[in-house]
Amino acid sequence: MARSKADLLQGTLDMLILKTLALGKLHGWGISKRIREMSRDVLEVNQGSLYPALYRLEDRGLIEAEWGISPEGRRAKFYSLTGSGKKALREERRSWELFSEAVQLILQTTQ
Amino acid sequence: MDWIKRLRRRIRILLTRSRVEREMDEEMRLHIEMEIEDLVRNGMNREEARREALVRFGGVERYKEQGRDARGVRWLVDMGQDFRYATRTFRKNPGYTFVAALTLALGIGATTAIFSVVDGVLLKPLPYDKPGQLMIIAERYSSSILRPLSVVDYQAIQAQQRTLDSVSGLARGRAFLTGGDQSERVIVGRVTADWFNTLGVHPAEGRGFRPGEDSPGAERVVVVTHAFRERYFGRGADVVGRTLLLDGESHTLVGVLPRGVESLAGWRAEIWPVLQLQPPTRRGPFFLVAIARLRGGISQQEAARDLAQVSERIYAQWAESFQDREARLTPIPLRDLVLGNVGSALVLLFGAVVFVLLIALANVANLSLARATTREREVALRTSLGATRGRLVRQLLVESTTLAALGGIAGLLLSVIALDALITMGPRLPRLDEVGLDGRVLAFTALVTVISGVLFGLAPLVHGISSDLGGALRGGGGAGSQGKRSKAARGALVTAEFALALPLLVGAALLFTSLERLQRVDVGIDADGVLAARASLPPSKYSDGESVTRFWVSALPELAELPGVEAVGISTGIPPDDPGMTNNFDLVDRPVSPGSPQPVVPWLLVSPGFFDALGVRLLRGRLPDETDGLDDPEVAAVSARWAARFFPGEEVLGRQLFVGGNTTSPVTVVGVVSNVKYDGLASVDESAVYKSYTQGTWRSLNLLVRSRGNSVTAAQLRSRLQALDPDVALADVQTMRDKLATSVARPRYWATLVGIFAGVGLALAAVGIYGMLSYFVSRQQRDIGIRMAMGAEPSSVRRMVIGRGMVQAVLGLGAGLAGALLVTRWLEGLLFEVSPTDPATFGSVSLLLLGVALAACYLPARRATKVDPVRVLTEE
Repeated sequence: MARSKADLLQGTLDMLILKTLALGKLHGWGISKRIREMSRDVLEVNQGSLYPALYRLEDRGLIEAEWGISPEGRRAKFYSLTGSGKKALREERRSWELFSEAVQLILQTTQ
Repeated sequence: MDWIKRLRRRIRILLTRSRVEREMDEEMRLHIEMEIEDLVRNGMNREEARREALVRFGGVERYKEQGRDARGVRWLVDMGQDFRYATRTFRKNPGYTFVAALTLALGIGATTAIFSVVDGVLLKPLPYDKPGQLMIIAERYSSSILRPLSVVDYQAIQAQQRTLDSVSGLARGRAFLTGGDQSERVIVGRVTADWFNTLGVHPAEGRGFRPGEDSPGAERVVVVTHAFRERYFGRGADVVGRTLLLDGESHTLVGVLPRGVESLAGWRAEIWPVLQLQPPTRRGPFFLVAIARLRGGISQQEAARDLAQVSERIYAQWAESFQDREARLTPIPLRDLVLGNVGSALVLLFGAVVFVLLIALANVANLSLARATTREREVALRTSLGATRGRLVRQLLVESTTLAALGGIAGLLLSVIALDALITMGPRLPRLDEVGLDGRVLAFTALVTVISGVLFGLAPLVHGISSDLGGALRGGGGAGSQGKRSKAARGALVTAEFALALPLLVGAALLFTSLERLQRVDVGIDADGVLAARASLPPSKYSDGESVTRFWVSALPELAELPGVEAVGISTGIPPDDPGMTNNFDLVDRPVSPGSPQPVVPWLLVSPGFFDALGVRLLRGRLPDETDGLDDPEVAAVSARWAARFFPGEEVLGRQLFVGGNTTSPVTVVGVVSNVKYDGLASVDESAVYKSYTQGTWRSLNLLVRSRGNSVTAAQLRSRLQALDPDVALADVQTMRDKLATSVARPRYWATLVGIFAGVGLALAAVGIYGMLSYFVSRQQRDIGIRMAMGAEPSSVRRMVIGRGMVQAVLGLGAGLAGALLVTRWLEGLLFEVSPTDPATFGSVSLLLLGVALAACYLPARRATKVDPVRVLTEE
C-alpha cells in the first residue's frame, strides 16, 4: 500500500471528509488529524490538499462552513455535513462497498 | 434549484472576494500552527516542528490556487485580476501602451470610417419596401448603351406586361417656383400616379397620387419633401390643400413625404409633381426613368423575356421613327442604378483600409513580441508559482484585448472626425445621407477590436510561453536568451508589413498616375478666364422659340459690354461631361440599312460666341448663327472628328443628314470646328454636331463668359440679365477650371484616400522595421561589442545590421509584388490609360519602398556602431 499516498483518488478524499464530518463538525486541521487517525497514518497526503477538496464540497452544497471558537480557544472555520451531504455519503459508501466487494472477489479468485 | 443556490454563492464570493481570500489565508495559517503545536506536544523542538508542518502541508500558494478553482468562480476572479494586472502593466509602460494604442486607433478608426460608408451606401438595403423586387426599365440599344424610355415604351409596358406588379415613370427636371417672396428654381421629379406605391414610400401627411391624376386634363397635384415644407411654409404650418405655382401653372399640394426622405430612386428632388403624359406622335423623345416592381416569384430574367416581347411589338408599330430593331426594354435592379459604379471603388477602398489595419496589427504584435521576450522571467516565475499554461495564455489575451479596447475607443473617436471629413470633403456619392455611425457600425467596430486583440495577443504565444522556462530563469534577460522562434516571428511580421504595404502603394500610384493622365487630357477648350453658369427663362413668359431668341439676341450684346468681357456665348451642352442632348441621324448620301441602328452623337444648340468663349476654332466653312432662323433651312457645324469619321478624306461641307427619324427636311453641314469632349475626359469619340440656338427652343442654357483675368462676377451677370427680365434665373455659377476639376472629383477622391492609406501603411511598416532593428541592436550589444573588440570596422557592423533589416524588407517586397499583381486587376475599371500591371509604377514603387526601409534601418545601424566594447564586456 505504499503508493496509496500518491494515488489517493480525489473521490476517496471527498468520501473520507464526508465520513469524518458525519461524526460531527470539525475545523480543517481536525479533519486532517481525524483522517490520519482513522487510516492509522496510512492515508496521509499533503495536508494542504484537504482545502481544495473542502471548497469543492462546499461549492457542491454537501458541506457547509461557519466560523466559531475551537476547544483550544482559537477562531476557526468549522465544517459540517448538510442534508444532501449525508445522502451523498450514503451513496458513496454503497458504491464503495460494491467496488471493494468486487475487488475482494477478484483477489480471492486469483489466489 | 441547486444551481441557483450555487450561483448565488458564487456571486456572493465574487462580491466579497477579498474576504474569501483573507479567510482562506487565515484558515491555512491556523492549520499549520495547530500542526506545529501538535508536533511540539509530541516532543519536537519548535523550529523543527515548523519545518515539518510546512512540508506536511505542501505548497500553500498552490493549494490556494486550487482552492480558488474549486470555488468555480475562478475564471471571473482571474479575469478581474488579469485586467488589473494589465492596467498596472500599461501604467508602468506608458510608452509601449501609447504607441500600441495609437497604432491600433489608426487602424481601427480608419476601418470604422470606411466601413460606415460601405455599409450605408452598399450593404444596407435601399430604404424601400422589398427593395429586391424594384427594377429600373431601360432601353438597351444594340450598341448596348442604356437610355431612358419614351412615352410609347412606357404606355406599351403598362398595357402589355405580365410580370410586373406595377410600373411608374419619372421625368427628372427643374421648374420655376413663383408666388413666394421671389421666384426660385427648384429640382422636381415629375412622376406618374403609381410612383409612391411602386416604391412603397408613403406620404407622412396627406396622401400620394390617385389613379387617373396622371392623365392629361386632371387636376395638377404635388407631393413635397419634409425639408421643403419646413423651409418654404415654416415649421408646423398646415400645408395640405395649399397651392404652388410651378412654371406658372398652379398645383395643389396633396402630401408631404416622411422626414429624411430626400431622394427617391436616386433622384434628389424637393417637389414631386404628378406627371401627365401627352399621347405620343412618334417613338421618341426618350426621357422617362421607369421603375417597376416585379410580381412576387418572378425573376429578373423572366421579366426581361416578357419585356423583350413588348419591345418587338413596339418596334413593328413605330418603325418609322425608330430604327434600332435590336433595342430591348431591359429590367435592371434599382440598386445598380442608384449606386452606379461607386460599388467597386468602395469595395476597393475597404480592401485598402483592411490592409492598413493588418499592418497596424502586425506592428502591435511585433511590439508585444518584443515585450514578451523581456518578460520571459516574469512568465517563468509565475509558472513555477503554479500558474498553468492556460492561465498565462488567458492573461496575455486579457492584456491584448484591453489594449485593443483602448485602441478601439480612440479609433472610434478618430472615425467620427474621419467620417465627417469623408462626407463633407468628398464628392457627392449616392446614398451618402444614409451614412452614419449607427448600431451596425458600432457592432462592427467592437468585432474588429476583439479580433484585433486576439490576433496580436496570440503573437507572443508563438514564443513567450513555450520556450524553455528554466533556461529563461537561469539565463536572465541578457543576450543570447532570445528564442530563435521569436526572432523568426518578428522577422516574419516585418516581412508581412512590407508585403501588405506594397500593394497599397502600387494601388495609390496607379490611381494617381491615372488621375494625372486624366487631367492632362486635351478637352479641346481654353478653360482659363471662362465663367460658366446655368441661365433659365421662365416657361410662362417664353413659350415659343421666337421669344427665347428675342431675349438672347438682346441679352448677349448687353453681357458682352461688361468691362473685361472678351466673348459671351450660350449652349445646351457643356464640356467635359454634359452633352445636354444627343441625337441619332442618318446621312442622306449613305443611309444605314433598314433595321440597323443610326449613329448617335452629342447635339448642341449654340450661339457663335460659344466657340470664341471656349477657344474652339472654326477650321472650315462658317458657323451657324442668328441669321439661321426657325423658318430657314437647317444648318450645322460638325467637329473635325465627326468629319473624319463619316467622310474620311472627302469634302464634308454641303453634306446632308436626317435627324431623329425625320426623312423630309435634312440638315446641311456648313462648317467644321475643332474637337471638344462632351462625354467625359475618358471618352474617345469627339464627334459632335452644332446648330444655332435660333433653330430650336431651349429655355435653360449654359452661359459662358470669357473675360480678362476672369474678372466678371456672377453678380454682374445676374444684374445685367435681370435688368432685362427679373424672372431670369442664374444658377451653378463656376469657373470652367473648377468645372474641369469637379469632373475628376471622384477619381481624385479615390486616389487621395488610397494614397493616405498607402502612406500610413508605409509609415507603419517603416516603424516596424525600425523597432525590430533597434531591439535587435540593444539585445546584441554584447555580440557587437565582441566583434568590435576583435577589430570589426563600424562599417561592417552597420552592414550587418542593415542587412538583417533589408532581408525582411526585400522578402516583403517580393511577396508584395506577387500580391500586387493579383489584386491590382480589381483597379482596372478605375484606371485611365494605365495598365494595372504598369511596369514603371511597380518599379518606382518598389524603389520607394526599399528607400524607406533603408532609411528606417540606418538609424539603428548607426547606433550599433556607437556600442562601446569595453563598457558592454565589463557589464556582466
